[in-house]
Amino acid sequence: MKIGQHREHLVRRVGLLAGLVRIVLLLIALSYWWTQIAQGEQFRELAENNRLRRISLEAPRGLIYDRHGRQLVENVPSYTLLLDRSLSRDLDASLAFAAGVLELDVADLRRRLEENRGGKFQQTRLATHLDLVEVARFRVEQLEHPEFEVAAEHLRLNRHAHYTAHLMGYLGRVTKKDLATQESVVRRDDLLGRQGVEGRYEDHLRGERGEQLVVVDSRGRLIEKLDPALAHAGGNLRLTLDLDLQQEAARLLEGQAGAVVALDPRQGDVLALYSSPSFDPNAFARGLTPEEWRALSEDPRRPLQNRTLQTHAPGSVFKMVMALAALERGVITPESGVYCNGSTRLYNHRRRCWQSRGHGFENLERALRDSCDVYFYHLGQKLGIEPIAHYARLFGLGRPTGIALEDEKPGLVPDAEWSERVRGTRWYPGETISVAIGQGPILVSPLQAAVMTGALAVGYVVEPRLVLDEPVRRGEPLPISPEHLDLVRTALWKVVNDSQGTGRPARIAGLDVAGKTGTAQVVRQETWTKNEELPPELRDHAWFVAYAPAGDPRLVVVVFVEHGGGGSRVAAPIARELFETYFGRRTPEPVPVS
Amino acid sequence: MRSLLLPRSRLSSLEGEQTALRRLGNVNVGPLAAAFLLSLIGLATVASASAEQAESLLARQALWVLVGLAALAVALLFDYHWLVEAAPMFYGLGLVALVLVLVLGHEAGGARSWFAFGPVRVQPSEFHKIATVLLLARYLSRHDRPFLGLRQIAVAAVLTVVPMGLIALERDLGGAAMFLPMLAAMLLVAGVRLRLLVAASLLGLVLAFGLWSFGMKDYQRQRVRTFLAPEEDPLGAGYQVRQSKIAVGSGQWTGRGYGQGTQSQLRFLPERQTDFVMAVLAEEWGFLGVITVLGLFAWFISTAARIAMRSRDRAGILLVVGLLAVVVTHAVYNTAMVVGLLPITGIPLPFISYGGSFMLFNYLAASLVLNVDYRRYVNR
Repeated sequence: MKIGQHREHLVRRVGLLAGLVRIVLLLIALSYWWTQIAQGEQFRELAENNRLRRISLEAPRGLIYDRHGRQLVENVPSYTLLLDRSLSRDLDASLAFAAGVLELDVADLRRRLEENRGGKFQQTRLATHLDLVEVARFRVEQLEHPEFEVAAEHLRLNRHAHYTAHLMGYLGRVTKKDLATQESVVRRDDLLGRQGVEGRYEDHLRGERGEQLVVVDSRGRLIEKLDPALAHAGGNLRLTLDLDLQQEAARLLEGQAGAVVALDPRQGDVLALYSSPSFDPNAFARGLTPEEWRALSEDPRRPLQNRTLQTHAPGSVFKMVMALAALERGVITPESGVYCNGSTRLYNHRRRCWQSRGHGFENLERALRDSCDVYFYHLGQKLGIEPIAHYARLFGLGRPTGIALEDEKPGLVPDAEWSERVRGTRWYPGETISVAIGQGPILVSPLQAAVMTGALAVGYVVEPRLVLDEPVRRGEPLPISPEHLDLVRTALWKVVNDSQGTGRPARIAGLDVAGKTGTAQVVRQETWTKNEELPPELRDHAWFVAYAPAGDPRLVVVVFVEHGGGGSRVAAPIARELFETYFGRRTPEPVPVS
Repeated sequence: MRSLLLPRSRLSSLEGEQTALRRLGNVNVGPLAAAFLLSLIGLATVASASAEQAESLLARQALWVLVGLAALAVALLFDYHWLVEAAPMFYGLGLVALVLVLVLGHEAGGARSWFAFGPVRVQPSEFHKIATVLLLARYLSRHDRPFLGLRQIAVAAVLTVVPMGLIALERDLGGAAMFLPMLAAMLLVAGVRLRLLVAASLLGLVLAFGLWSFGMKDYQRQRVRTFLAPEEDPLGAGYQVRQSKIAVGSGQWTGRGYGQGTQSQLRFLPERQTDFVMAVLAEEWGFLGVITVLGLFAWFISTAARIAMRSRDRAGILLVVGLLAVVVTHAVYNTAMVVGLLPITGIPLPFISYGGSFMLFNYLAASLVLNVDYRRYVNR
């Protein structure tokens, strides 16, 4: 590799090539000059007029129907005002114009602009729910004010808002948290299902938004449409709900706080799920003002709470589980007798029966019919807490039922292990005596009570389902002897149909209703004060659980009335009306949903 | 051919520190200065082009520039004579890498041309360009005559076509095509007789005509037509050309201001950080920005050419010419494509476009150019 003899040849050729490249670069510079300077004006104008708009193609949210095909929700159009600041010549003038049309303060609009602004080239939501006159004004002034655009969106309207609010849930604007966790599917300003069916089936209902890219000129007129990505509508849902029954439940609980659950015990179909008092879910989609929100969330009647999922002491309703536990463990026979004189002394405490006169001699069937507390105190003492807890769990208590709703409380089946772990104290035998009549730390929701009652009626626990297309989930048959189950079922039939039964107000001629009353004490009572004499907030909660027909159970009804007093007087009549509604008419044939 | 594949073990002896420093003062730093200024402009433009994205690419690009500068410094430690001698080894290793990437590579944008090492992706084809330039410089410098014979031309063509073919198999056609100007420039400088040049040009024309008539599919012909008359198909392939020209043209003299280009920021422009980065620059900085960039490229090319011309040996001249040809072709093609002079292909702008492997290639090329100047007095 010596210095080449012909190096000068190579050097000359390099010089030639370099010169050629310089000429090419000059030509390129010239063509930039031609494009930017000679034709610059035209291209600048094209760029000014060149506006890519991403028109979001809203996917219609899926509709929801009841089991008979009756539509429960609809999507209604709503108009929103958008501002593109990059198109505004004079922002003050733009805001003044908008304020004039909307009859709002300019300062108010300016604040909204500051609050909602995104990137420089993103549109800002300035106002929602424009009426048609306002929409027309903005459309007419489109040439003067191209910075404004009126977008049609959809609001979710619950057609039966006042009696399906808790079940259906509502739609609310996305939060920062939603954006962070599901960035790919939700966008700023989206409405998302919250709570209830709308929340739980959000992914199914939402559908897939499409997008149309269009090029518009500086006045917002369409120039070109580019490759659209079409929207895919959300899926519809057919609920297990029976709208008539739900409506009737709402009517019957009018003016009271409480809950009604109606379940088909065979498949777990939720036929009614009503919590009173209710709220207006449509207000959420419209957008609540801070004052409205405060009024709603601080309302002492707590209308936002879904009382079908809130837990309370089950009271005497729990005695059906007690009876079965005692029979199965053999601590009693059906004919074992206990004498009730109105109270008994156990572990150095006097325990009262609700009937101060006493019930006299009671066997199991009569004790259930009369709901005799003294009888069950003795059962509790003989059993101890562990078998009680075991049988309670067999009936689905102490864990969520698995219903597709948020915020379901698991309830509580207390035992010694729980006491040590959670309270840090040992379990006292005296507490077992309280649990034996459904008081003490045990907690059950109306929905769990319905599952428990259904399990007694058909012999297995079922998972409540809200959507007809979802699979039926049944538990294994209860490991309880059929004779024992029949014994308790017969007793519950007597509760309603015997002339002395505590559930007598639920009796229907021609329909075999079986049930159990319950009263959850709010304050511990040392004397036999009449509940009606107590102030309302200290009165007991009333329970009534029932199923019918007794020989072929097709409907379970649970009625829970907060501070209602006795289950027999307050809750049982509501259950009767629900049974009458359900069985009193021919069930319409299901209407197919398109 | 045997001797060609085995590097002769003639490593450079350690040079005295004093002479090294003195010689450093004589190095033409023009290419380095131009490259660095272009990189700074690239950083600013990439930042603006990715402003609307979730993650700005500025930090990554800055890292790549630093990596490039470090690679430049490290590569300067090796005498280019030794690198040229060792070329068969680089070339062989490069071929292995190209075969491996075909089998194990990462697929992106339809091309299987990447090695992925965690978050870092490396494109071996970029580095094989350097290996091929080194090997061609070695082969063609052996032949100390004013003009090359047909045999030399044929061997050089084969050496070039082998890696080209592998890269084309990876479906990275733009990357494969870049070997042709490299080969052409080195052959021309090494010496091709005029009558051969004319004959080759005629043959090329005939081949192009044959390709158009018989060898091309309809969509490929459509692409060429679109290039010739973009207005006829404003929404298809012509869309990009048109949006790019609008971006460039609307820049006028001084541009629309940094971060203010509607074409760029509203995403009319495709591939804003890579292939169309020049359109972003032209829109936001105007004609003044464009001539600054073109001027810096001219400076880079002129100073590199001067280095080639004052090199004492054929290998040095040919090395600079081959590397320069690749950089120049990228720069010329990209700037011409953005303004609508050539069809749209994925060819990035050296030192400015976003991308790690390409940035590294550019700085290694600059490093070798400086290397030739730095060691021009080393007697061999």
